[in-house]
Amino acid sequence: MNSSSRFNWLGWLTLGAILLFWEIVSRSIPRVQLYIPPVSQILSALGQLFLSGAIARHLSVTLARFLEGYLLAAATAVSLGIVLGYFRSLHSWLEMLIEFLRPMPSVAIIPVAILILGIGDSMIVAVTVYASMWPILINTIDGVRHIESTLIDTGRTFGLSRGRILWQIILPGASSYIVTGLRIGLSIALILVTTAEMIVGSKGLGFFILDEERSMNSGNMYAGIILVAVLGYALNRGFLALETKAMKWQHGMIARKVT
Amino acid sequence: MATWHDRSEGNVTARSSKVNGLLFMLGLAVLWELIGQAQLINPLIVPPLSKILRVFAEVSWSGQIPLQIIASMKRAAVGYVLAAAVFIPLGIFMGLSQSIYRLLEVVIEMLRPVPPPVVIPVAMLFFGLEDEMKIFVIFFSCAWPILLNTIDGVRNLDWVLLNTAKTFGLSRGRIIRQVILPACSPQIVTGLRVSLPIMLILVVISEMVGSTDGIGYFILDSQRRFRVPQMYAGMLALAILGYALNQIFNLLQRALLPWHGGMMRRREEG
Repeated sequence: MNSSSRFNWLGWLTLGAILLFWEIVSRSIPRVQLYIPPVSQILSALGQLFLSGAIARHLSVTLARFLEGYLLAAATAVSLGIVLGYFRSLHSWLEMLIEFLRPMPSVAIIPVAILILGIGDSMIVAVTVYASMWPILINTIDGVRHIESTLIDTGRTFGLSRGRILWQIILPGASSYIVTGLRIGLSIALILVTTAEMIVGSKGLGFFILDEERSMNSGNMYAGIILVAVLGYALNRGFLALETKAMKWQHGMIARKVT
Repeated sequence: MATWHDRSEGNVTARSSKVNGLLFMLGLAVLWELIGQAQLINPLIVPPLSKILRVFAEVSWSGQIPLQIIASMKRAAVGYVLAAAVFIPLGIFMGLSQSIYRLLEVVIEMLRPVPPPVVIPVAMLFFGLEDEMKIFVIFFSCAWPILLNTIDGVRNLDWVLLNTAKTFGLSRGRIIRQVILPACSPQIVTGLRVSLPIMLILVVISEMVGSTDGIGYFILDSQRRFRVPQMYAGMLALAILGYALNQIFNLLQRALLPWHGGMMRRREEG
């Protein structure tokens, strides 16, 4: 596995070769150029979009919707998940509803959201919250349930209040599950924001990409896609960085368990 | 490991839990019906549940919804099977050979963070609103879970198995078919299972963005024409479809990999 930490020359060479092939083919065949413009042209389109500020507006709109929806979903789903995981009887009431709604592809909620909220920002945020809530909720419930009984019993024996049991035993105990849910929710939130923007948007990266396709500006379209991919990558990286920072204590615990 | 929930299992048995769940759903349904009948909320948005169910029965009997579902599932199946046919073998090769893995690693890592719906405009550019557009989108988005899980499976293979097969002088093809494929099938199945809901989501999205038929188109179109009961009926059909797909997958898994369940159990116990 140390080989994976080395710089992967071979992989970057493959990428370079593909891009070079792309550039040459696209430059020499005009029919192809219409659909796949040369890489250099896409990159310069991306640069121009940045310089003119045209793309910054779409990017900030998408990012704001994403953050609003995702954070709202995280807050709701984690608290709801802890409650449902802790109070088993409450969960038994809601379980069937959850199992009924879960298999339905979350994007199907978009038409209902349009009907209720119109085609503004709030609709896009609402569907993002709905869709990214599921993995967080389910994982949190699972996490709370997998806490060892001795931990909670010990807490109770020492006469800890409900609040302290929640903060000092349940939350840390379920945190690895919660983090998994949050990570899955992150990519789902980005999917939902871009999808909703394609279907109803008048701004945002999803709208921008589809709009450029419709006006046959394939260079701008690819530039937009690169930007979304970078955004997705950066969000993921940021999440991982936060996770390693927040969950530092856990690596010690896992190591202790293994030995 | 005993979790603290095992104890409380006593007072809330599995059966009473089902009853509670059913009661709650029934309560919600009655509430919905009452709100709809009394027109408490804009009846355009919340029609009575009985009306939705009647419309659901109508569009199901008339063949409207079944036809849309068939149209959607045809595209979904082609994209999904294509993704499996390409990315399971690729995953096996990438898992077996470190140099093939390194050759493709960067390209894959570049493509993976692209959110699948963003691929729809590209597919539309090439294929218009044809079936190929949706097939390509589904193919692209199902690729990653299948590929990454297969690579993982091959990498975690017990090397004694491989070496034994080599010692007995099995050919490469036979090793792949008779040793690697069965040994990795749990992970491959996991990849296929993860990409099943992704397939359904993407077929719905791509039909909403650019299509003239399919269940995704049906739902969005019903909303645009303010045929709200039809819209809810379509969503109900979609929920049933999602559930059914999962059940079919389980059934196939049990039929094709009957030994798999036992192995998983042994692993969990061990």
